[in-house]
Amino acid sequence: MFSHNTLRYLVLLMLSGGALFQAFAAEYFGLEILTEILILAMLVLALDIVAGFGGMVSLCHGALMGVGAYAFALFSTQFGATPLMAMGAAIAITGVAAWVIGAVCSRSHGIYFIMATLAFGQMAYSYIFEAPLFGGDDGLGGISRLDLSLIGVDLDDSRSFALFCLALLAGVYLMSVLILRSGLGRSLTGVMHNEQRMRALGLTVWRVKADVFGLSGMIAGLAGALTAQHIMYISPGLLGWTVSGEALVVVILGGLGTLVGPLVGAVAFVLLKHELSAVTTYWHLVVGVVLIAVVMSRANGIYGFIEGRWIVWQKGRGTNQTASHAAREAVSDA
Amino acid sequence: MSHDLGFWILQALNALQLSMLLFLLSIGLTVIFGLMHFVNLAHGSLYALGAYFAASFAAVGGYWLGFFLAPVAVAGVGMLLYSGLIKRMRKSGPMAQVLVTFGLIFALLDLTRIFWGDLALGIAVPDVFQGRTAFLGVEYPTYRLFIIALGMAVLATLEFVLRRTQIGAMIRAGVDNDVMAACLGINVERLFFIVFCVGCALAGLAGAVAAPLLSVTPDMGLQILIPTLIVIVIGGLGSLKGAIAGSLIYGCVQTFGAVLAPQLASVLIYALLAAVLVIKPVGLFPAKG
Repeated sequence: MFSHNTLRYLVLLMLSGGALFQAFAAEYFGLEILTEILILAMLVLALDIVAGFGGMVSLCHGALMGVGAYAFALFSTQFGATPLMAMGAAIAITGVAAWVIGAVCSRSHGIYFIMATLAFGQMAYSYIFEAPLFGGDDGLGGISRLDLSLIGVDLDDSRSFALFCLALLAGVYLMSVLILRSGLGRSLTGVMHNEQRMRALGLTVWRVKADVFGLSGMIAGLAGALTAQHIMYISPGLLGWTVSGEALVVVILGGLGTLVGPLVGAVAFVLLKHELSAVTTYWHLVVGVVLIAVVMSRANGIYGFIEGRWIVWQKGRGTNQTASHAAREAVSDA
Repeated sequence: MSHDLGFWILQALNALQLSMLLFLLSIGLTVIFGLMHFVNLAHGSLYALGAYFAASFAAVGGYWLGFFLAPVAVAGVGMLLYSGLIKRMRKSGPMAQVLVTFGLIFALLDLTRIFWGDLALGIAVPDVFQGRTAFLGVEYPTYRLFIIALGMAVLATLEFVLRRTQIGAMIRAGVDNDVMAACLGINVERLFFIVFCVGCALAGLAGAVAAPLLSVTPDMGLQILIPTLIVIVIGGLGSLKGAIAGSLIYGCVQTFGAVLAPQLASVLIYALLAAVLVIKPVGLFPAKG
């Protein structure tokens, strides 16, 4: 089961403090980067729930995010729904799609699961790339942001939009914690560790997997709807499998199965990307080498590495109750 | 659209040519996986490397120099990757392997861009295979017939090596049960190294023969990877039969799908893959029952 420890609270505090400071201090470009980080953070939280706590390494979460973005764009620009309704529809549609994908893929394990989710992601990509309704490879433009003028907030201002995303991210984080602490989340972790045992205990394993995948998909859908509002233009590239791969990279870079780690990963990844692409056009090379180094070091990402050291330090101080608990939580290979 | 016999033969040849190209790639990937449970997502990048090597060698000494040297060069790169990276990742779970090879895709993609630049390279079809040949009553590009023949030849050679020679028996034993094979005195470690190099060489060969058909671009490895993975997942990992069946299914569905149901063509193959995974999660002809 997921639980917080002092270090996790500390990192969360630092991250939210940093985000708030940035939201008020930064100029336009800084705010754009902040928003990018916040939206990516939602996507990788969704991925961490299924991959880190359920052992379901999904290569379709980028596509799910894309489905959310397209659903939002379609409902708000073509069907004349208000942005709020469109957002609800986007989340619902993505959730249902993810539930179906989770149900279909629940029988596969390991590399087959990865391939199966990849197939569904690519299916969505190919379909949207060619369907005239979705604008094909031209994408869709003219997307408007949520109207919060009732409470006196103008989301077309990038500072307000960044703060709005930050508030939603906080909500998503709390929801993730609630999901993982619920009976469903505990069953999921049980399934990850020993599927046979959970089945013998009378659990309907595929339902647990599908339900969690659906909930995770809803978060990805929200991230997608926000992406569409952030850039105000979407293209099929959003659904490509490299987007899902990058999300996985971010989760690993931060620390799988910690919820806090992926947030750290999102910050590190976006900053690394922007800093590197300013210096060299070959930033993928650096990202690739960093990724290889992180995986081969066998540390659980940046945050996992720090937490590992912290646990050792705590043990040294004799307060090993929380430490051993956290050590059990540390998930190595899915 | 004329639906006479010649039209269908033409489409069948197109399907076969696509299948053979995918077969060259998937057979390396599948045997590497079957033998050592190693998932090499960077296999497509090796294919792209093969195409670049072929283009470079061809610029110096003509098409055939590239054709013969590109597989050797890619096998060399494979050797480096094996000793530096893959050997250490063999015992890790699929997740770690997927990620390491994913990082490798990023790295190799940019390395090819650094060495060869962003512009697409072209490579000419050798003089022998210029033009078209009348075949079964249709005119078909000779070079594409050559690819089909090459695929068949590789298939026959592999079939012979795997079924009739001692090393083939060792590979089959390793795929079926690597621990038992090691107990029987087979050096599975060395066997894997050899198979890995051959797999890389085949990827390089596929790149070299595909280079004149498609233009050589940095992202060609990314584009071919998904079809290759679909082939081995439909066919079942680790078996020659699976690689053949998967390649033929992919080639046919893709080619005939584009003719018969253009709206559905791109989704069709993914739907088929999903169906196979639901009905038989380990593929149609897996190495292990």
